[in-house]
Amino acid sequence: MRIEEKRYTKTDHFRATGYVLKTMKVTFKGLVRATKHRPCTIMYPWEKLIYPDNFRGRPGIILEKCIGCARCAKECPNKCIEMVQLELPNVGKVKRPQVNLGRCMMCGNCAEACPTNAMIVTPEFELSSYNRADLIFDPIKLQHPYKPGYEVNYQFALLSEMNGGEVKTYAKNDPNVHDTVLLEGGKCISCGRCAKICPTGAVELVETGELNPKTKKPIKWPKFDNTKCVICEQCVEVCPKSALTIKEVL
Amino acid sequence: MSTLYHELTNFTEWLLGLVASLLDWTKLGFLSDFGDWLQTEPVVTLVATLLVAVIFLITAMMFGLCFIWEERKFLGRFMDRRGTQVGMLGFFQNFADGIKVVLKEHIVPKDSDHALFEMAIFAYLASTFMLFGCIPFSDNFAVFPNVNLAVLLGIAIFSFGPFAILVGGWASNNKFTLIGGMRAAAQLIALEIPLLLCVVSVVVLTGDLSFVGIVSWQEHNIWLIVPLFIGAVTFFVASVGESERIPFDLPEAEAELVEGWATEYGDVRWGLQMASDYFRAYILCGLFTMLFLGGWAGPDFIWAEAWYLAKTFIVFFFFIWVRAATVRIRTDQILKLGWRRLLPLAVLNLFVAIALKLAGVF
Amino acid sequence: MSDEMWVNMGPQHPFNHGLWNLRVRLNGETITAAEPIIGYLHRGWEKMVENRTYSQIVPLADRLCYGSSLSWNHLYCLSAERLYGVEAPTRAKYIRVVALELQRITSHLCWLMAVGTDLGSYTIMTWTIRERELFLDLLCQLSGARMTYNYCRIGGVRSDIPENFERDVNRTLDEFEKRLRDIEALCDENEPFLMRTVGIGKIDAKTAMNLGLTGPIMRASGVEMDLRRLDPYEVYQDMKFDICYATDGDVYARYRVRIDEMRESAKIVRQALAEMPKGPVRVKVPRCPPKGTVACHVEDPRGESLMYIVSDGTERPYRLKVRSPNFVNLSASPAMLLGFKISDVPAIMGVMDMCIGETDR
Repeated sequence: MRIEEKRYTKTDHFRATGYVLKTMKVTFKGLVRATKHRPCTIMYPWEKLIYPDNFRGRPGIILEKCIGCARCAKECPNKCIEMVQLELPNVGKVKRPQVNLGRCMMCGNCAEACPTNAMIVTPEFELSSYNRADLIFDPIKLQHPYKPGYEVNYQFALLSEMNGGEVKTYAKNDPNVHDTVLLEGGKCISCGRCAKICPTGAVELVETGELNPKTKKPIKWPKFDNTKCVICEQCVEVCPKSALTIKEVL
Repeated sequence: MSTLYHELTNFTEWLLGLVASLLDWTKLGFLSDFGDWLQTEPVVTLVATLLVAVIFLITAMMFGLCFIWEERKFLGRFMDRRGTQVGMLGFFQNFADGIKVVLKEHIVPKDSDHALFEMAIFAYLASTFMLFGCIPFSDNFAVFPNVNLAVLLGIAIFSFGPFAILVGGWASNNKFTLIGGMRAAAQLIALEIPLLLCVVSVVVLTGDLSFVGIVSWQEHNIWLIVPLFIGAVTFFVASVGESERIPFDLPEAEAELVEGWATEYGDVRWGLQMASDYFRAYILCGLFTMLFLGGWAGPDFIWAEAWYLAKTFIVFFFFIWVRAATVRIRTDQILKLGWRRLLPLAVLNLFVAIALKLAGVF
Repeated sequence: MSDEMWVNMGPQHPFNHGLWNLRVRLNGETITAAEPIIGYLHRGWEKMVENRTYSQIVPLADRLCYGSSLSWNHLYCLSAERLYGVEAPTRAKYIRVVALELQRITSHLCWLMAVGTDLGSYTIMTWTIRERELFLDLLCQLSGARMTYNYCRIGGVRSDIPENFERDVNRTLDEFEKRLRDIEALCDENEPFLMRTVGIGKIDAKTAMNLGLTGPIMRASGVEMDLRRLDPYEVYQDMKFDICYATDGDVYARYRVRIDEMRESAKIVRQALAEMPKGPVRVKVPRCPPKGTVACHVEDPRGESLMYIVSDGTERPYRLKVRSPNFVNLSASPAMLLGFKISDVPAIMGVMDMCIGETDR
């Protein structure tokens, strides 16, 4: 669409045609409207905007749901989440996320990565404080009352299914389609660290039936329970011999 | 002699008489003589005039502050926002601002011309405060109501301001202030002449240079905005330019020159400079009311001063309206506007006035 | 000549939105030389993302430009998708087009707000920012944030559109088109506004092409170039819209182009919402892309923006280069400024829609 040639070509612009008058009419209409219907200002400390449920304020946590898988810490672009030791009354010593809100940019990626929806995005955005230490929210302080809509859920499709006809969508962390941990048997030294670190107890050391030729003890290899696994990759990282890899479902 | 003047002269006579009797009570010869001297007429007149001036200045400044408040609230509504909020519909914001600027530090730029830097701002402020005395509220409430040439005196003091701006802009040793000062001078010359020609046309019709004469002429005949409409419009545009408001606020165009000629001024000097912009707008609105809207003339159910103030506030509402509607224009365009449009219009208006006078309409 | 002086307009100056410096040499008030200086907001973005995984870069791409963060977010996701060799589902593409065009309207309103302050009319500023609020609310509903949306994902969008979104958008657009007429009356019918803009900062088509200008500034010079039409990316090939261009090449033409673009955007949004198919909005992508390079360009509200990614097969990019339209437009500013008055600097540079976040990166 070509915009018409400008209507005003003279270099000497000011003509006594009163072109300001129309603008003055429009502004006067604005004055009448603002006086009649009140101005559209939102008086912030007393009034607040109405925000939707998925409003992304600071991250929050529901401690009962958290399993300490550290996926939020891994996904955080600013590295503001750290897993810290915490003594919980019924559970004992566990690791739970602590968020440094001084660095947090409220992207909501932690809640999106959380497999149990323990990490939520709260609509709380008034976070100013007088010193930086107050901005480091430990897991207890990070807690926030839950309301449906705070957690980040999404549906995804699989790339391999996209091309052929019917496309199924899967919920976040659907156990049927999520990635699996693969063991490269020859590298395993049966140290059991993967079973120890697994937050969900999805790793179990089972006997392979062979005996260690030197010690004559049965060799135990980890076995992964896919319905419990949340792909936190902690076992992959902790494995001293890099025997574990992730097999992606695409 | 106005009644206010009369009352205050009586009050001063009483006060000075009291002082003189106190001095007499000391039984010291030279003090008694001094007391007698205090009661002579020149001294009484002088003190009474000073008292009138002080009362007048304070009143006028309060109404100047009301102008700031009016602009803030109305401009807010024009823009669909609320304007100031501090106390009494935002009126106390002015005082909060005043306290704030008084508490600020006074900073003088390192390489500036120190003496001129300080003098220029005071010259500017002094010229503004002198202007208050020129515009009477009514024939009662005035510093010198019936003096001849009062209009010319007001215009003369008014044209002193931009000179101070130029000096201050140069003395600040800053490129932005220098450009701002130069612009102020250029703008003044371009707009002062049409302004004066409009005044001349009013004087031609009324045959009087004092406000009382002009207003009483309008009370008996007709408001001058009707016969001299062209002149009124020209005067309005020129006075928007003279008071350096949008769309003619080039000397302090904040988008290109940071704060214009006042960039380097801080603390209460800047605060008073800012306020004096409004005081000047108030003076020009007052002049417009006097010259074209019949001044304090109006039906008798309310004081004459109230009529004058109401008219001034309405004129200033149009100032605000123009500000809300337009954008800032360029220097060369202002000069073109002043010389090529307003000056011919003002001359035309003068011809109209002369023709009306010669034809014997008034 | 000793009569000429250099004036530093910046880095702290009311007219520049963001930290940058414009040195101008003045003869009286006429500009005889100009030199933009940037680098005050350099955050090392391109280096920073080399230490982030591909999915972590998505929210960081928002931070390139505060005015139109979604278009940068989308550009990154689009180029990453091309690197991975995947394609977003059709519904996701339509949603992206809706979001992008809403973002374009928001960005243009934000630009008009800045122009209003530069030219001294605060009414334009407050009125445009009032309309912008409507679209911020919509985008907030869609993505959960008002400024940095973080909405696009590699292989789709974050989530499906909320309930009643189509109805809300259509109502908002109806209201907006009414109010846009008021804002136009504030500018177009305003003689001082025309005095400030018509005939200022002229650039003809040939110079515009030689200087590498893109976006509304180039279209205002008479070059009919819009990447949405020339190299359609999402579903723009199915959309019926006009490319707005003018032939004058002055500030007023640039203003007109952007105003009319807002109308065209509204048209595209309505169309995309009406034609939106059902289906998934997101596909799962692998962690590591294959080795290779990809360059992808889109039509940002400010011009042609481009991202060039080099991948070495790991989960972090080896190199990510951003071509910012503003950087190129800014470097062409001396050609626009020469011979005009210092009062024209806010008009010319304001209409350019400066955003230092993406210029300095």
